[in-house]
Amino acid sequence: MNPLILGIILLTIMAGTLIVMISSHWLFIWIGFEMNMLATIPILMKNFSPRSIEASTKYFLIQATASMLLMLGVIINLLYSGQWTTTKMFNQTSSIIITTALTMKLGLAPFHFWVPEVTQGIPLMSGLILLTWQKLAPLSVLYQIAPSINLNMLLTMSLLSIMVGGWGGLNQTQLRKIMAYSSIGHMGWMTAIMVYNPTMAMLYLLMYLTMTLTMFMLFMINSTTTLLSLSHTWNKTPIITMLVLTVMMSMGGLPPLSGFMPKWMIIQELTKNDNIILPTLMAMMALLNLYFYMRLAYSTALTMFPSSNNMKMKWQFEDTKRMTSLPIMIVLSTMILPLTPMLSVLY
Amino acid sequence: MALVHKLLNSTCILRKCPRPSVTSCPFLGTRFAAYCSSSLQKPVAASGKASSQRKPEGNLQGHHQKEDALDITSPEDKPEVNFDKAIKEEINDHFRYLKGEIVNYWLGPEGRPLHEVLLEQAKVVWQFRGKEDLDKWTVTSDKTIGGRSEVFLKMGKNNQSALLYGTLSSEAPQDGESGRSGYCAMISKIPRGPFERKKSYDWSQFNTLYLRVRGDGRPWMIPFSKFFFSNQGRIRDAQYQLLLDKISSIGFTLADKVDGPFFLEIDFIGVFTDPTHTEEFAYENSPELNPRLFK
Repeated sequence: MNPLILGIILLTIMAGTLIVMISSHWLFIWIGFEMNMLATIPILMKNFSPRSIEASTKYFLIQATASMLLMLGVIINLLYSGQWTTTKMFNQTSSIIITTALTMKLGLAPFHFWVPEVTQGIPLMSGLILLTWQKLAPLSVLYQIAPSINLNMLLTMSLLSIMVGGWGGLNQTQLRKIMAYSSIGHMGWMTAIMVYNPTMAMLYLLMYLTMTLTMFMLFMINSTTTLLSLSHTWNKTPIITMLVLTVMMSMGGLPPLSGFMPKWMIIQELTKNDNIILPTLMAMMALLNLYFYMRLAYSTALTMFPSSNNMKMKWQFEDTKRMTSLPIMIVLSTMILPLTPMLSVLY
Repeated sequence: MALVHKLLNSTCILRKCPRPSVTSCPFLGTRFAAYCSSSLQKPVAASGKASSQRKPEGNLQGHHQKEDALDITSPEDKPEVNFDKAIKEEINDHFRYLKGEIVNYWLGPEGRPLHEVLLEQAKVVWQFRGKEDLDKWTVTSDKTIGGRSEVFLKMGKNNQSALLYGTLSSEAPQDGESGRSGYCAMISKIPRGPFERKKSYDWSQFNTLYLRVRGDGRPWMIPFSKFFFSNQGRIRDAQYQLLLDKISSIGFTLADKVDGPFFLEIDFIGVFTDPTHTEEFAYENSPELNPRLFK
């Protein structure tokens, strides 16, 4: 794409999200969402192929519907309160509708069907933007209206998302679909704690962004999109193989890696609020996630996958992809757990 | 509900099949059975239980073979039809299939462990060893638009292969709107899951289509990189790579305007990873044909 156009589009995406995050007027939040969505569509369609077009069409339809629902909720809220500020929702109906709209944008179950297919159809870089940056805006609005969200609805959705994220990712051989299902699961964890302690949700978001960014960067180094090509990385760059294993275990929430920290904090917060069954179920479903990561890691990293001879003797070219921040991200994704006592500064 | 839907579908397809009168056959029987094109040489299943012919499952297999033996039913020994029982059986079968699918999902992709699926380099997808293998294919020709080509599919000697044979005729039908004609095709059925949900094949690990056919008895390997997009016989201007993880069906069409008889014997069709074939896509888009891509 023309670099100038690409720059303007990326700027619009960032501006849209920032408008959502800093506004206190509901109309501006809606405007921010629309700007974000319209500017994301060309980013999703960068490789012009039928699959990308299908993916961006699906994305557009879902996000447009969610924006419409958001507007409906905002207007009902306006009807009952007479003002547009986002301090709290004045009506249960509008709260439910707005929560539905935001969960559609995030890709929580039962509105998760678009996430794997859209992520699968777009290039790795666009998938990265979709699964990281696009989560910021809806979560910031959820953070703002957190006290007035219908608890039952949100907790049901989050439990369903964790189940779907675990079960759906089980048999995928396409890496982008795996990342999509893991995103659904992680969103479930975030929204579960949103009503009780929104700060924990932000902590989880931070960890999730770090880990997802790292995974995508590791995939982009070799442009691997299928499990089979990931299994052959031990031939090309063995260190990437090891790093994929470590970051994946961190995403699964295995101690002593840093992915365990937010899950631990969330379970602790939920039990402090006399909610025992929910975190038990959530932790058990997270095991499903870990199971398929383990199965993946067995074929790719723990065993030397058979490959043909022409793959074993590759010319060692210099790396042209500059991933300057990769070492920092890896350290942040795997070694932050001992810093958990530092969380007290959040209070 | 599923049965009624199937019935409605099947009655649309039947245009030239002889329709028995309503008095001699019960509502469900013969219409439902003769769903294929009239040029298919399979015996029409006689009236009887409303059994599905698409998935010959365990308890229905017996009915299928029994009905094949009867060409005509005499009115005296009409088997009794129990609509409710048949529907319940059908629904139970679907639920059993669903349970099997969930268990298979736990085991791994396509019900096999993940490392086995990843290590696979050659897979036989369709094999022709019995009549039920022919059920997975549909043969069509331009007879549907009024042309004169004929095509048949039957099992070969010793049940070792399938024979696709017939006559191609490019004489255009005299209906005032079609100028060209002359094609015969053999298309695989779209794989269906429980409750007739459409599924697709995932061939993203393979890069070649492997056919063992007798025209000259040699195995044919057609790389997936050489597949191009076409629509109704015309090659499209914009070309993209074939999406290998959502394949729903594959077909063979003969439309080379050479009139006369043709014959193809197929042993099996599979997919294969050719390690020496590294091409991803054989064609490229050109600015003349597709200026939109090159702005």
